[in-house]
Amino acid sequence: MTQQTPGGSHRRPRDPGDQEESMAHPHLRVTRRQALRTGAGALFIPFTLRAGKAPAQGGRKPFDGVTLNISCWSATYPKLIADYLPEFQEKTGIKVNYDTPGFPVYNQRADLELSTKGSGFDVLNVTFIYTSRWIGAGWLTPLDPFIADANKTPADWDFADFVSGSVQPMRDKAGALYGIPWISDVLMAAAARFDLLAANGFGMPDTLDDLEKALQVVNKKDGVSGFITENHWGWIYPAYLQAFGGNVFRNPPDDLMPTLDTPEAAAAAETLARLLNSYGPEAAAGYTYDQVTEALRAGRINYSTHNHAFCALLGEEGSKVTKTSNFAMIPKGPKGRFPGVASHGWGIPVGAKNKDAAWEFIKWSLSKDLVQRMTQKHGLGSVTRKSLIGSADYKQRMVINGIDTGQLFLDSIAMSEQGYMKYRTVHVYPQANAQITQALGRIISGQMKAKESLALAQANTIADLKRAGVRFGATPCQFGNSPGVRSVSGPSYSASPRRCWCLP
Amino acid sequence: MITIAPAIYLVLTSLTPLNLTLPDTAWDFSAPAGNYLDLAEDPRFTRSVWIQVKLSVATVFLQLLVGLGVALLLNGSSRIREMARSGFLIPMVLPPIVVGILWRVMYAVDISPFHRFMAFVGLPVPSLITDPNWALTAIVIAETWEWFPFTMLMVLAALQMIPASPLEAARIDGANDWQIFRFVMFPYIQSTLVVAAIFRLIDSIKAFPLIFVLTDGGPGDVTEVTNYYAYRQAFTFSLWGYGSAIATLMVAGVFVLSYLIDRLTGVAHAEAD
Repeated sequence: MTQQTPGGSHRRPRDPGDQEESMAHPHLRVTRRQALRTGAGALFIPFTLRAGKAPAQGGRKPFDGVTLNISCWSATYPKLIADYLPEFQEKTGIKVNYDTPGFPVYNQRADLELSTKGSGFDVLNVTFIYTSRWIGAGWLTPLDPFIADANKTPADWDFADFVSGSVQPMRDKAGALYGIPWISDVLMAAAARFDLLAANGFGMPDTLDDLEKALQVVNKKDGVSGFITENHWGWIYPAYLQAFGGNVFRNPPDDLMPTLDTPEAAAAAETLARLLNSYGPEAAAGYTYDQVTEALRAGRINYSTHNHAFCALLGEEGSKVTKTSNFAMIPKGPKGRFPGVASHGWGIPVGAKNKDAAWEFIKWSLSKDLVQRMTQKHGLGSVTRKSLIGSADYKQRMVINGIDTGQLFLDSIAMSEQGYMKYRTVHVYPQANAQITQALGRIISGQMKAKESLALAQANTIADLKRAGVRFGATPCQFGNSPGVRSVSGPSYSASPRRCWCLP
Repeated sequence: MITIAPAIYLVLTSLTPLNLTLPDTAWDFSAPAGNYLDLAEDPRFTRSVWIQVKLSVATVFLQLLVGLGVALLLNGSSRIREMARSGFLIPMVLPPIVVGILWRVMYAVDISPFHRFMAFVGLPVPSLITDPNWALTAIVIAETWEWFPFTMLMVLAALQMIPASPLEAARIDGANDWQIFRFVMFPYIQSTLVVAAIFRLIDSIKAFPLIFVLTDGGPGDVTEVTNYYAYRQAFTFSLWGYGSAIATLMVAGVFVLSYLIDRLTGVAHAEAD
């Protein structure tokens, strides 16, 4: 495989780590032939310093012959990327094998692939709930060197333009960066048939109580069911849980004792179950995010707590509710408003063979130009570049039926800076997520009362966390790698210390 | 060796606390029985075994019943019957994921022709896959639809091997259809049914794609069979040691089950002889 260096010369990498080693230590392994090539290439430097626009010699593209394997879960942006891939190939010569499976399938596949440190993928989505796990385990490539290298990243690509709140989850404790966010999504409220609420004297509900009062009146009006929300309970439920004053863990990330069996947790679950069962359509517990979006766009269901990226599609072509929609921040509970916020980003697996080419893809896919075109042509929402979010064009695009959903998005992100999303980026959240999903499934389907089901989830989560190496106790340990910290699994696994609380 | 090597690795892994996020756990044999002791105290594992038993018994029984019934209907030679035989084989040759998607559509209240028809005739049916009382039944129905042709095929082959003379003799003696089936045909196909049952029983323990596509083990955990629980431990939580221990027990269970069935049917045959 021949690759072109920023200087315009060609070389054949010796092994997957070759490129990175040469980048880090350019003085190493310089042969006479390489020196001559570099010298020849230097003649072209004035023309090629604008990295990313390196001209090809003799008609060749910078990465001719390179094939990247890229995967991301299925969402609006990754699906749109597929349409633009020919542009990328035309520009760089890189061929891309690209797929977008469903969210759970993607996560399981990526988790397994990353854990082997294999070279099956060159670019993967860094899933929000796995950030701590994947970054902490050293499964991803640090991206700071790519950004800092002017030959690889031109200044006008402008990394500082990304919303800092979106970038933060992609860093490790030392601040090293492992992912570039393509989405920061927030949980908000959408009323696809707000006209039915308005006709009955209701505004957009500000609280969960207001919501229920309105639903009691408008449910089934005009054949429209009142309420729906996606059945990814591990994402939806915590927003309700926190609104009632509860949380998933006692004090994440330092204290990972689950707190799913509290009265607040039961009250939140009962409320969510009641909204779905009393005002939802048939089989409301089975709606995926795609189904929720389509049901809202078709006007079959009125109100939902749903992601901004999907809500933005209510104003796009094919929607029957553009003129009847209204939006707001997620409703408040007794203890306030806690819109869920999650970021997903592109990362490079540590075992990837084509890291330079992978970085080219990340740069291209998140370039201002491409993302701007996606927002203009397809109404892509929840973008991560400040310059786009602040642009008049984007703002106008995000205004649906007179409501500035872009501002709701920014307001929600600002709220998350309180730190209430910390529960989601701890390394064992996937375990809690699975238990929450099962617990809510039992409650909504009427198998168990909320208190009973959540007590079971609490016990199961503790068992799963213990099995994953977390130790619980009433007080923090005073030994280990720092106060309150010790190796989670005892001496056997001391190579992978984790923050935890242990038995006194 | 090619066959046995992965199985040996599975068993070895089950003796470690292998957690993919903790690489040092890969060859840690300091507590080899740890996972098995955990399993003994894991109520979710026990529950998953019980769900597996219910699923296996129901699907094997129904597949035998439907397969036998259809085979009896199709036993004979006519152009229509031959075409019907080919048609009935379709579910079995479809990729399991396609069967899953097909039934996902069938169970989607909004778009399913079944649900629409029932609603049209005034007998609306609730969503089967989100109702805890029906979710497992929904899996059983789909699984039966997919695999009854296997039993049908085997029984049909056995039926066509029955010599004509005992059937003719029974008819001449005045036996009715039920008596002919019970006393002439059934003894001929009995062993075939047992073999089919063993195959289907072992295969039912591998039920996965339908559960993955239709219910994801839910609602709650009412369709979380043992292999789905193992999958969740390994793929969702990265606990490969624990997942391997569950898988090892399943393999052992299948061996024991096959041995017992073989012994029981052997005894039955010996007594019959």
